[in-house]
Amino acid sequence: MCAYVPGNTAHAQRTSIPRIPPHNSSNSFTVASSNSFSASAGQRRRRSSAARQPPNLSLNNFPPPHSGTGTTSGISGGTGEALPTIPGTPAFEMSRSSSPRPGGWSSPGLNTPYDTGGGGSPQNVTWASAQARSAEVKGYPAFTPRNQGFLGKHFRRISSSLPFSYGDKEKLGRGRYQGNNKVLQWLNRIGWNLWRLRRIIAPVLLIITFYVLFYVTPLHRYYRRSSWFGGGNKFVVILAANQGGGVMEWKGPREWAIERDTVKNKKKYTQKWGYDLEIVDMSTKKRYAHEWRESWEKVDTIRNAMRKYPHAEWFWWLDTNTFIMEPTYSLQQHIFNKLNDVTYRDINFFNPLNISHPLTDQYLDPESRSPVGDGKPDSINMLVPQDCSGFNLGSFFVRRSVWTDRLLDVWWDPVGYEQKHMEWEHKEQDALEYMYQNQPWIRPHVAFLHQRKINSFPPGACGEKGDDPQIHYKENDRDFLVNMAGCEWGRDCWVEMYSYRRLSDKLNRKPFEKIKDWIVDTVKARWEKKNKNGDKKS
Amino acid sequence: MHFALPPRKTSRPPPYAARNNSSLPIPPALKNLLRRDKLRLVVVGILGFLTVIWLLGKSGKDTAPKSTTPIPKIPKVAIGSGPPVVIVTTIDPKADPAWVQKIKKNREDYAKKHGYLTFFPNNDQYPTGKSPLSWAKVPAIRHAMTEYPGSTFFWYLESTALIMNPSLDLQSHILNPSKLEKSMIVNEPVVPPDSVIKTFGNLKGDRIDFVVTQDKEGLTPTSIIVRNGEWAKYFLDAWFDPIYRSYNFQKAESHALEHIIQWHGTMLAKLALVPQDLLNSYASGPANPKFGQYKEGDLVANFAGCAKGKDKESCPEQMKPFFDILDQAQ
Repeated sequence: MCAYVPGNTAHAQRTSIPRIPPHNSSNSFTVASSNSFSASAGQRRRRSSAARQPPNLSLNNFPPPHSGTGTTSGISGGTGEALPTIPGTPAFEMSRSSSPRPGGWSSPGLNTPYDTGGGGSPQNVTWASAQARSAEVKGYPAFTPRNQGFLGKHFRRISSSLPFSYGDKEKLGRGRYQGNNKVLQWLNRIGWNLWRLRRIIAPVLLIITFYVLFYVTPLHRYYRRSSWFGGGNKFVVILAANQGGGVMEWKGPREWAIERDTVKNKKKYTQKWGYDLEIVDMSTKKRYAHEWRESWEKVDTIRNAMRKYPHAEWFWWLDTNTFIMEPTYSLQQHIFNKLNDVTYRDINFFNPLNISHPLTDQYLDPESRSPVGDGKPDSINMLVPQDCSGFNLGSFFVRRSVWTDRLLDVWWDPVGYEQKHMEWEHKEQDALEYMYQNQPWIRPHVAFLHQRKINSFPPGACGEKGDDPQIHYKENDRDFLVNMAGCEWGRDCWVEMYSYRRLSDKLNRKPFEKIKDWIVDTVKARWEKKNKNGDKKS
Repeated sequence: MHFALPPRKTSRPPPYAARNNSSLPIPPALKNLLRRDKLRLVVVGILGFLTVIWLLGKSGKDTAPKSTTPIPKIPKVAIGSGPPVVIVTTIDPKADPAWVQKIKKNREDYAKKHGYLTFFPNNDQYPTGKSPLSWAKVPAIRHAMTEYPGSTFFWYLESTALIMNPSLDLQSHILNPSKLEKSMIVNEPVVPPDSVIKTFGNLKGDRIDFVVTQDKEGLTPTSIIVRNGEWAKYFLDAWFDPIYRSYNFQKAESHALEHIIQWHGTMLAKLALVPQDLLNSYASGPANPKFGQYKEGDLVANFAGCAKGKDKESCPEQMKPFFDILDQAQ
């Protein structure tokens, strides 16, 4: 509201003078001492203290309070030049005799339009004075006073110190700022243009706001989960925990750490994409041991999960010793949207077991004899990766279907187990391979996934060197998942889990973190180089 | 119309309106957005945003090697478009040709009468390996399904059995769902006398895929009806699994059948156990004590075990009087 005038009003400075445009000739207000001026200017603001002032102090020099309220336009828009045109400034008050205000001419000593403080005479009671008194009596104001915050209290002072200059007025500005400050002009122009284009900018801004809101709040999870948009509720991850634990083996701190890491990894992944996570306890149970069916609990577990998540379609089995390296891949995008492209149904494409593939028996129907079933992705009910020695059930998918129901039903059979339990080292995995070879109804509904799509191996599994492009994890290709298969036998599960976790974190850094790390690394390298040089010199 | 005076104000002023009607405090800025004239903007914004998300979600390529097996053209034949029933009988090529002709003629006459088909494969044409030739019936049914994919029911009838009452239509006699629901024996031990696994009690007639009978000793796969479809493939393939063939079940495929029926619920759930005289009356052999013995008017007379008799000619010998009866009827 007020302005600091750089040059010509040296006598009126310090105490800032309200409502007086700086270009005024100063003689008009020298009459009033600056401190009485400010006191009554604060009258409306701090009622009680102002009321102590003698009422006849140059009252007629000032506009009645309400007339001064119009002058608030100055700073906010940067268009302070408009000030003189506003009626009610003292300059005009002094130079022209204005018509009486609604309260009549102010005549000091005769009437006291406002409260005269403390115990005023009853006949002089006005609305304002009554209100003020009642406020005093109550002890706290009847309404919440404005301008109580920091800005409200200090806005005046702060604004007056801003580098606005109303020194030279340019009439052509038409109320716009025309000063010499280039930056301000520039900002001003941008502001105006934005305002002019608001119809276009508003939707864009709205979209950006929604976008931010979407990812900041859990909204994106609901989106990805919903069957209309993301379809995440169609997937369930079944994580086997505590494999082989229980009576046979106690868990040490390493085993706990492995389990904590693997569970955390899957939890984060499923939450991100809106899938369901089912953690199952696979500890050895007497029930299964009695029936010779250890590790066939897998079947029962999948069945239970199917019952528990009646809307899910695909169930992804994961062993404990697996780690999702790329949580940014969704299952839909990674596999299921292009099921026909990422899978192969003709096992001759990669056939470590040397299964003779298309069945040739003439009594079979054409679909069973076809190398790829009916070739449609809808008929795929099971997705299995193959490692160097055949099917691998450490990470595989089954789809809810009648076919799957039947497969899970015949998977374990006592007659089969009685004959083969010495031969089938990998139990249910070998049983599946056997059924695939010998029961023609299975083949048209099983598709194979490339091992590295969902089940990359670390070096040590399927070859010490770890350089088989079909099987082993490659950092540069950003493989989806690592299965540390067989790490319990002669390798260190925890070390592998830890190093892959670190690697995954490193690969999936945010851009900001990458920059930070880069800076740290370069500084470090330079420092070391310097040290080396220093060492050499000395 | 103008009134001279405004209506009288009520002397009981209403209580203050609640500041906010809804319990959820919506900031005024948001409220302003939700006004009707702004609504279009909001809707456009949301739609645009969803489009952006959708477009972003579409990206992504794949570089995995592709298998290049061409998709074969598999003719699709709707089940039910062909003749309703196919009668399957496996023939032992070493048997007496005259008798075989009679057996074939018996089935062909019946099929002609009702518009059915017959299918007579040899029992040594299937890869049964070392296991008994009686296993051939399982791939034979599968073979018939491959040959006649349009038919609905496949009736396997052992060569030791004769159709004695050709006027009985298989569909109205047994397979009609309501008839089947009435005739099937529920809650009966699958293997007599006291198997823990009992036939299901709440099956619907039109969901039945497998009709079988039970004699004194157990299930009789000498006369069974299988409905064409995916379940049949599953059932027959699982039954024919080499693991059962190599197991030395005492009665080969019929014990294997009892085994899989008892251990796998998905098979038991499709099975209807019907009284023996509906489908498989015994003229000789261990008939079911309640209703197993052949009597006149039954559909089938089965000379169970005649082929296993000491002299090879026992089957034709035993059947002779029944052939005579059939010849007289014609």
